[in-house]
Amino acid sequence: MWRLNKVRHKAGQQGGNLDELRLKRRENERALRQARRDRQLVSKRLLLNEDEEQPDVSMDTAPGGHDIVSLLHKLQHSGTEKEAHLKALSKVLRDPSAQLTFIKHENSMHLLVGLLTGSNAQCRLQAVRCLHELSHSSHTNVAPACLPATPYLLTYLSGPSTKFTELCLYTLGNMCPDSDVVREKLLAQGIIPALASCIENQRHTLAVVEAAAFTLSQLLQARDAPEKIIPIVLKSTLPSHLLSVLTPDPQFGLAPAIECAWCLHYLICSTDDNKELLAQGALSQCSSLLVSLGGAVTEGNKEDGIELLIWPLLRCVGNILSSCPEEDLNAQLTDAHLPASLCALVQAYLHTLPALARETVWVLNNLTAHSTEFCSALLTLNLVPGLIQLLPFSQGINTMILRILANIAHKKKEFCVQLMQLGLLSALCATLKMADQEMVIQSLDILFMMTVSSPVVAEEFVRQDGLSLLEVLQYNGAAEMRQRSTYLLEKHLLSYQQHITVDNMPDP
Amino acid sequence: MDTVEVLQVDRKEAMLQPEALQLRTEGRDEQQERRLSESEDGNNPFSFTPQIIRLHKDHELFEDGDIHRHMYLQDLYISEAEDKPALSVSEFACHISGCSAVFSALEEYEHHYNALHRHVCCSCRRSLPSARLLDIHIQEWHDSLFTILAQKQDMYQCLVEGCGQTFRTNKHRKDHLIRIHKYPPDFRFDKTKKERGRRETKRKEQKDAAMEVVDDVCESEGVCEVMCNSPSDEPEGGESMETHECEEKASAEDVLAAAQDTESTAPRKPQYSYRIPNTVCFGHGSVRGFRGRRGRRK
Repeated sequence: MWRLNKVRHKAGQQGGNLDELRLKRRENERALRQARRDRQLVSKRLLLNEDEEQPDVSMDTAPGGHDIVSLLHKLQHSGTEKEAHLKALSKVLRDPSAQLTFIKHENSMHLLVGLLTGSNAQCRLQAVRCLHELSHSSHTNVAPACLPATPYLLTYLSGPSTKFTELCLYTLGNMCPDSDVVREKLLAQGIIPALASCIENQRHTLAVVEAAAFTLSQLLQARDAPEKIIPIVLKSTLPSHLLSVLTPDPQFGLAPAIECAWCLHYLICSTDDNKELLAQGALSQCSSLLVSLGGAVTEGNKEDGIELLIWPLLRCVGNILSSCPEEDLNAQLTDAHLPASLCALVQAYLHTLPALARETVWVLNNLTAHSTEFCSALLTLNLVPGLIQLLPFSQGINTMILRILANIAHKKKEFCVQLMQLGLLSALCATLKMADQEMVIQSLDILFMMTVSSPVVAEEFVRQDGLSLLEVLQYNGAAEMRQRSTYLLEKHLLSYQQHITVDNMPDP
Repeated sequence: MDTVEVLQVDRKEAMLQPEALQLRTEGRDEQQERRLSESEDGNNPFSFTPQIIRLHKDHELFEDGDIHRHMYLQDLYISEAEDKPALSVSEFACHISGCSAVFSALEEYEHHYNALHRHVCCSCRRSLPSARLLDIHIQEWHDSLFTILAQKQDMYQCLVEGCGQTFRTNKHRKDHLIRIHKYPPDFRFDKTKKERGRRETKRKEQKDAAMEVVDDVCESEGVCEVMCNSPSDEPEGGESMETHECEEKASAEDVLAAAQDTESTAPRKPQYSYRIPNTVCFGHGSVRGFRGRRGRRK
């Protein structure tokens, strides 16, 4: 993955600057989190020149209006050195204030578009490079100024030059988040069909596929996407193309698959009914890929950035399950290894990326909610003890695990007995003492299902001195706990108490 | 990452698409039969049904993954995480209303519970550190037969296990403890009943007036608030043993009367009520500590 390699390289080189880098990353992360909370999470990509190691904003020459104006003048009047001037212009346009100066200058865009569509191929390349720099601007009024160029950029998507096409794509992708007007125009100019045919025709040029999928993902994240963009995309051939590129190419790397997976995630989570995508095999493909990635991870092949692919795939599977009727589940999910792979992923990422582990157990909940087969699989494949061991971990992990276990207990009384044999009762005796109310209430819910299912379970619970735990809960401040524990005690458990006398009461 | 609130995949906040439990009419599992009859019981508070949880694009659960993705887009991705995100572990808490103790380990919870809630006197709700001391307490404080016999015989046992000596009065025992067993003169477990004082009667009145959660059930401070001091049931919670004073004196009759009053006038606990009746006790040792009162509770 060319981008990842570059970053690592950078980090390794600057020994002294490592702290600075760390600080910068942390600041950026904080800014991103705040942006997400404000629903303003937007990123742009800058395609570097071949000779560039890293984006270098600091200029040797003082940037400014002076440079822009003089360069534009030169461009208008020179004959043969246009290419050189354009190259210089693209370097100057890396600077934010120069970008603003450019768009304020009358005729500047007109001039650039002229060069973009001219007969000189090299000039066209440099012109699009200039546009690309402009598109990367963080000022939201720069992108609208580039609108005159977009019909041509879209036309060029079917062109033969990879580098050129890439630049066009990333430029368009950068422009998408900046304003409604820009997106409206792009949609009217046919960006969706253009992207579809681009991916279809250039399927084997993975750099182009990556760029096209990135651009699509920018469109799909827009706030008005569910109404204005996603229906069009779903009707196009894009979903099937995305699915066909989903399996990563071992040589090229994960990047195109990553972009496609995120596109699919945005598509799936934005619509309630995903029958179309189901019919195209989205669930089976995503889950198969998850299984193979899970296998790679467990074997220790943690390729750099693999979680960037695992993450959207998990979300695709998790959300699309709600569109899949129970009867069709087995037909759609052809890979029986999914439960085991998911459990493996949880273990693999529990300590390094707990958020990923949390999303994985969410998927397991959705998988087991209405499927007796998958609940049974968790038992037969001996995955339950591993899940029980995760019950100490908070921040949403243990509550979700209890949901999964409750899903299992809910299905059959034989499952309850098996859960008991696997030690769930003693685990519940611990979770009933947790501070988190949600954990206690869910524990009570499972306990209810299990004790009602079979006298064997009820007796075992009493033998493990569970009655005193419930009695304590009868005096809890929360009504939900009091009601449940009292009900359980009075209706179901106290009858077992006769068997317990003072003499055979276990010692404290 | 923040605490538990960040994850809002709970009953109230997630975009849930509840799928109703489908009870197929043919081939009904016994499990489902039983559940059906349970759910027909109007009092059944259990409501769990398996649910597929759908999460929209901006859900909080997705925050970390989105950030990861955008860091990558902005060329800020690094393969090895620099600061390992902290994996949180659930805490434990004493669930007895009024006790706000929280623990990071299960053993701490068990220790707390055993120390404070296990050997609790049914009548006066004092927490005793051991079954034996509880037995002695009940005998000496709540057994009218003891009071009668004590006038004629040596009824006060030495508190040291294995000593076996008995004494005519509390004071004699105390002297014995200090001289022979080198106990401190202000040993907490050996105060006289008289020193409990009027505070107890006042508190009981407050308690009856209180509507909801009663918080006088236990001491959250150390083990020591036992035979001497009254249970700390001020709304704010326990008093530390250092500051508690048992100055007010009441006659033994007053105290006995108060205790009796409580027992006779305590309302029978209604189904799922939210007041803790005075006579109800709990705890693992309750059978021993409360002399089989458990059966009475129903």
